[in-house]
Amino acid sequence: MTDATAMSVDDLNFIQRIRRDYSPLVIAMVGLFIVVFVAGATLTDDFLTWFNVKTIIRDAALVGIMAIGLTFVTLSGNFFLLSMKEIAALSIICFATLMGAEWNQWGPAEGDPTTSALMMTFLVAFAATMIIATITGAIQGALIGLGGNPIVVTLGAAGLFFGIGSWWSDNLVVSYRRPHGAEWLGTGSFLGDIPNITVAFIIIAVAAELTLRYTTFGRQVYLVGANRAAGRATGHENFGMAIKCCIIASVCAAFVAVAFSGQVSSAHVNYFSSEFGSSGDMTIMVIAIVMVGGNSIMGGYGSTLRTSLGAIFISSIDNMMVLNGFNSGARVLAVGLMIVFSIIVFALVRRGSRAVE
Amino acid sequence: MTYLEKTMRNMMVGVLAFGAMATASLAQDKPSIISFNGPAGEAYIGRFIKGIKDTAELKGFDIQVFENQFNQAEQDQQVQQVLAAGVLPDVFIWWPSDAVAGLGSLRALARTGVPVLKINQLPNEQDKQYIFGYAGPDDRLRARNAGYMMREAAAAKSAAGGEGFNVLVLSYPHSYGGYGLSINAFKEAIAGSDLTIIGDVDEGFGQANGYKGAAKAIAALRDEGIHFVYGMDDAILTGGIKALEEAGYSMGEDVIAVGTVCNGDKQLIEEGKQFGTTLQSPLHEGQLAIKMVEEYLETGELANYINFTPNPAVTATNIDTVALRGYDGKLYGIDELCSGAWGG
Repeated sequence: MTDATAMSVDDLNFIQRIRRDYSPLVIAMVGLFIVVFVAGATLTDDFLTWFNVKTIIRDAALVGIMAIGLTFVTLSGNFFLLSMKEIAALSIICFATLMGAEWNQWGPAEGDPTTSALMMTFLVAFAATMIIATITGAIQGALIGLGGNPIVVTLGAAGLFFGIGSWWSDNLVVSYRRPHGAEWLGTGSFLGDIPNITVAFIIIAVAAELTLRYTTFGRQVYLVGANRAAGRATGHENFGMAIKCCIIASVCAAFVAVAFSGQVSSAHVNYFSSEFGSSGDMTIMVIAIVMVGGNSIMGGYGSTLRTSLGAIFISSIDNMMVLNGFNSGARVLAVGLMIVFSIIVFALVRRGSRAVE
Repeated sequence: MTYLEKTMRNMMVGVLAFGAMATASLAQDKPSIISFNGPAGEAYIGRFIKGIKDTAELKGFDIQVFENQFNQAEQDQQVQQVLAAGVLPDVFIWWPSDAVAGLGSLRALARTGVPVLKINQLPNEQDKQYIFGYAGPDDRLRARNAGYMMREAAAAKSAAGGEGFNVLVLSYPHSYGGYGLSINAFKEAIAGSDLTIIGDVDEGFGQANGYKGAAKAIAALRDEGIHFVYGMDDAILTGGIKALEEAGYSMGEDVIAVGTVCNGDKQLIEEGKQFGTTLQSPLHEGQLAIKMVEEYLETGELANYINFTPNPAVTATNIDTVALRGYDGKLYGIDELCSGAWGG
């Protein structure tokens, strides 16, 4: 490229660059959507308030954290973990069981437990849950890395993990009493009126994005996802990458399970099958968020930042509709349309990008 | 062998294996029951299954339970498999996932001549001709009792100098059959009181959706003032209470919460954060089903076509003493009867 050409490209203003990079159809679709969204936001009473903005981000936090973990799997070209909610189900049973176990109480036998005793109980339960999550991720990652079809492997794993959780809990609600050491995560707020789980979501989103952008591991994720043969040629086998990415996704799912259990002081294997989102299935919701974020289902293209924004975006649409009095049917329809819309737009954008390349 | 032949062979093997299992299980002297219901993995249904199995064993019945994952098509397939196996029980227990969509299966069951007892969802005009009775909860009574409890709490607030109380309703999805029955009964119960419903949010079932729905409703209604909250079940209400607390409301003082079903968190009632609930026991529902089967097999009819489980009110004052005698003759406390976090 000559200096003269470089100068002319740098001189393009924002509008001109948009027109250069995107087709008129994409510009029209996104423009129309932005107009509708901004109009909806400004015309909806109580939408643009600090309280409601907090509500939106808090609403997005749990599914958002899971989706960030899953994004690593998708970016590495290993499709999705269809076992996300089952990993969470097994994790929440493990966590709640240990939180409620009498042998695990460090502190006086009589009277209220001390803060240190509660925290010790929490730490042991948390550590055990994360170990289980790591094992579940490693098993799935190894099978996928060995050439197993991600759909088949994770569907099978889903049944296995749910079955273990169901058997372990005897299908009953496992509860533990307040005060307990997980309240700070489930319902606490260290930063004024911002819930800790919201802070955790933001920290995890930033950390994940920095990892992908600025670490060797992050670049390897993109490399293996975009071109497995090239990754292999440079010594980066998918076997190790699949294990690492599946562990990240599993640990994120387990973290969500811990936070949710801390909020409700209980656990049940079905909590993640029926409780999240209008679709009623957390795995589907999490996959939807990854897709709405515009991450390539084939791997190698996307980011956790997109996923985080996707979670907030879906939460915003849902919130706006509730404030306007829509019931669940209309909201499911709207979220479904948003997913389809995002997939079309990002597909058009990527097709345009490849044409330029 | 062609693909079609292989498929046919596999299907035949499946039906024969299924038939062999059913034959082995049912070909005994004891009266037999086949129950079609949802998954044991769901807390409420898990306790229902425990209720029917334990009581059937106590009464000397053989029972086989076919679970579906809240999927009527799956249940329809199970019905076809049972009928294809050709070994019929003495009674079918039918808990449809979707009573309207499952009407074909019910008709097929009834056509065998084996009596069918419907569970959990009240009979409708289309299916009542195919069943010999109903056993299960009364959505209306449950909601009415919640309304009466809320009136009682509002009266206490009025006596303390308050007036004109706003109610937020945390609902089942409005498309769910129990919603209409519940909301209408609740409205009737609070009619003429100081209570006015100002919001009705239907985020979905469970605690997480209760939390999310309440958080959004608070954003819209906090200026108007929220004084009472009614949860269509305690799981939804438990999430709602968390959202209200995070929004700065003091539960039991600023906002009074009333729920139903006792599938939430017992500790909230003990701590005064939830005023009360109405007991709806899945264990009792399962026991009642077997009692109805026993009555029908003995007399050829039921004294009552509709048979409800009791829905007594539970508040902090009676939480340790409320008990129901099961149809197995034992006395159960609410920790055993309820399906939520009540065992802690």
